[in-house]
Amino acid sequence: MWKTILRRVLIMIPELIILSVLVFLMAKAMPGDPFTGQINPKDSLTQIHHLMRINGLYDPWYEQYWHWVVHLFHGDLGTSYEYQEPVTRIIAQRAGNTLWLALLTMILTYVIALPLGIYAGRHEGHLQDTLVRIYTYATMSVPFFVVLVLGSWIFGYGLNWFPTSGSVSPTASGFLPVLLSRLGHMILPAVLGALFATSSITQYLRSGIIDAKHSDYVMTAQSKGVPMKAIYKHHIFRNALLPIAAFAGYSITGLLGGSIFVEQIFSYPGMGLLFLNAINYRDYTVITALVLLYGFLNLMGTLLSDIALSAIDPRVRVK
Amino acid sequence: MNKYRKWLTAGVVMLSTGLFAACSNSNSSQVKSGYKPSVKLSQTYHNPNETNSTYNNGTLKLGEFYNSPFAGITDPALTSMEEDTDMFSPGGGDQLFFVNNKDEVVNGGLANLKLDKKAKTATVTVRNNAKWSNGMPVTAKDVEYAYEVLANKDSKTQQYDSDMESIKGLAAYHTGKAKTISGITMPNGPKGKVTVLHFSNFAPSLKYAGNSVMWDAVEPYEYEKNVPIGQLSSSKQVRKDPIFTGPYKMSKMVDGESTSWVPNQYYFGKKAQIKHINIQVVSGDNFYSSLKAKKFDFPVSDVTNPASEFPNVKNLSDYKVVGNLGTSYDYFGFNLGHLNPKNQTNVMDPHMKMGNVKLRQAMMYALDIGTLRKKFDYGLGWFPNTLISPYYKQYYNSKTPYYNYNMKKANQLLDQAGYNKHGKWRTQPNGKPLTINFAGPQGNASTNAQYEYYLQQWRKLGLNAQFTSGKPLEFNKQYSILEKPKQNQIDVWQGAFSVSAEPTPTGEYGASATFNMGHFATKRNTQLLNNMNNSKAWNNNYRTKQFKDWQTYMANQAAYVPTSMEMNWNPVNQRVKGYSLATDNNEFWSNLALTASNPK
Repeated sequence: MWKTILRRVLIMIPELIILSVLVFLMAKAMPGDPFTGQINPKDSLTQIHHLMRINGLYDPWYEQYWHWVVHLFHGDLGTSYEYQEPVTRIIAQRAGNTLWLALLTMILTYVIALPLGIYAGRHEGHLQDTLVRIYTYATMSVPFFVVLVLGSWIFGYGLNWFPTSGSVSPTASGFLPVLLSRLGHMILPAVLGALFATSSITQYLRSGIIDAKHSDYVMTAQSKGVPMKAIYKHHIFRNALLPIAAFAGYSITGLLGGSIFVEQIFSYPGMGLLFLNAINYRDYTVITALVLLYGFLNLMGTLLSDIALSAIDPRVRVK
Repeated sequence: MNKYRKWLTAGVVMLSTGLFAACSNSNSSQVKSGYKPSVKLSQTYHNPNETNSTYNNGTLKLGEFYNSPFAGITDPALTSMEEDTDMFSPGGGDQLFFVNNKDEVVNGGLANLKLDKKAKTATVTVRNNAKWSNGMPVTAKDVEYAYEVLANKDSKTQQYDSDMESIKGLAAYHTGKAKTISGITMPNGPKGKVTVLHFSNFAPSLKYAGNSVMWDAVEPYEYEKNVPIGQLSSSKQVRKDPIFTGPYKMSKMVDGESTSWVPNQYYFGKKAQIKHINIQVVSGDNFYSSLKAKKFDFPVSDVTNPASEFPNVKNLSDYKVVGNLGTSYDYFGFNLGHLNPKNQTNVMDPHMKMGNVKLRQAMMYALDIGTLRKKFDYGLGWFPNTLISPYYKQYYNSKTPYYNYNMKKANQLLDQAGYNKHGKWRTQPNGKPLTINFAGPQGNASTNAQYEYYLQQWRKLGLNAQFTSGKPLEFNKQYSILEKPKQNQIDVWQGAFSVSAEPTPTGEYGASATFNMGHFATKRNTQLLNNMNNSKAWNNNYRTKQFKDWQTYMANQAAYVPTSMEMNWNPVNQRVKGYSLATDNNEFWSNLALTASNPK
């Protein structure tokens, strides 16, 4: 197992190198540059050339790439053209916001989805199951941004129960007030995000439980007189969790991805908005750093999912 | 609020949403609707209610409606983001001068300005009681240091302007050939109060705030002197613990989200009345909802509010909408030549597809732009006759003729010029086929519908007009094509400029202007532009005449034709007192007061 993990990690190195080259080239291939449309048009071309030159944007791509790699190995991802700050510092600021919001969303998602999935699966065909299915189909069919806009409109602006923008109140000071304010700012987007995200997990779990319920090994256990509670605990639930486990790795590494919809509607400064703005402003250093980070996280997610699957199901072994 | 650093930006600021079909039905030849804004907005909200210290001890809540977090660069010399300027505006932008209602620099601000035409010098005298918000005095060196920051070869600022190189020695300092700026002297030493700028070319635009020659802000040298200029934008002095010269100082900043302000006890002018100000970034999508829920007293910026929200917002009983004539505009540009990279000069090519003035004029007469403005702009926008906004009362030429919708005249012009029909489409006078490639940056549904309308009208005229690449272009894509020294992918395009308080248009339309992307360059154009800032132009009547003549000349040439201007507007909650967008309201922040504890 350890050998396999080590091999997978080693394979990630060339994958990341290829990814970084591709990302670097694609970013450079985009029309425009970081100064287009933002520079003072009264400037002469000399000034534009000056800015392009001191930022190394006229160098051949392989030279730019090489500089970038050298700096990367020194922990320097470059300086953002838009924010004029080191990219590592910007990502660190945003990653914290995104991580906490995504963590809360994930916890809420599993807290809602697991009981719902189990409940619906156990009561297959009954009213309870129908209600859960209606709920999951409804959340699946409504676009996410509609849920967010409606939620913020009703609970944020209409009822005024929750803050509607930012990650913390400007007036909060001191550890506890700041903590509570941050929590308050996260609740509405996290709950809305979780309500939306539960549908697939609930459905997977429900289907898994129903499949497992009708499997031979469960019927055998039932005929041997094993109590249903024990059957659920040792046979059905464990098997039904397999598809959920397959997604677990991605869910954990996806915590840093951020959601453009949530962040835009709630003006929540996270990784999703950072990425979107970087593309709009042709902020090459931020784009390359983020895509590389996301690539790394995806590869890690795959690995974690495989490890989780093998831990739950002894039949599955990473090879 | 600082409107003097609203640099020109390229992009389309088309407004609103609405039904497009109605526009194409009009066949009147003299439609006058849409030629002026139909809404009447006062510059000032006259609140009759009494203010008192209890209310003023509360918090003024402001929204910055933007879809991205702000960058957090407090230094006006280093940021070019309007969002940053807004978020730090209670600090006063470290602005040097006060202005009158014509945007002319007057005495009474942080510093006074004295211009000497004979000696070609501008003397900036900082007032004796001028201090930074940490109590340090504002000195002559702080005036000079701003130029060092702007022009330093390691500085990554986008605010450096080549027009500034008329200050002697600045160009040499910018290229690193000189270690100091020889044309800026401090007769009483760096810690004195007097800074003298020596010019090689002394332009009358120096009288006005927002000119491109002089920087109008100070830079705290003593506070920043240990930070290399190349690293200033990410330094603690600029990011975490900035100091200001305005009526407020920053008490807290949440990265990318909000700033909080308290009165600056060292401010030289009228003391701030409100004890706390919070400014928070809010998604532009929530503009109306935020105001309806009374979350904010007013949006910080009056220039970025979406016109599509105006019909709803004007009906909010707790808000009074104030407004002012805007200075930004949309325009059509025609590709007429190329840029000679050797001497950076635009050259017109008579053989270019759009080189015939009658063709350009005909294309303009074929469009009913007045009706477009009426249908799409909610009464805020209008079809302008010139490239200078009526905001600049002194220079605006109301007599410049409009391109009134007139298909008959359009057809006549093309016939006269020899663009005859062969089959479905007209051909060039030399008999070659004519295909006109139009480009406009991608926008919302109404923007795209207006593009379709242009194409439809030109096709009615017999011109084979089509989108470059078959659809509106991504913003960067469009400008990456237009910025090429020579290109033939775009024949006519829709663009936009936002103009500063000093309207000299050399930067947009001069022979060597980078943003003269249609490469329009004639002797007459150069002469009129130069005349606006020659030695005779110190006479206001002469200067005004040059501006007016230029507007008429440009309208006749139809190389660049304006299609839309709009009102700036802002909803102000009825608990706010003292809100005014008047140009000479130099104490904007100190004049504000509250008449209730919370937004009503």
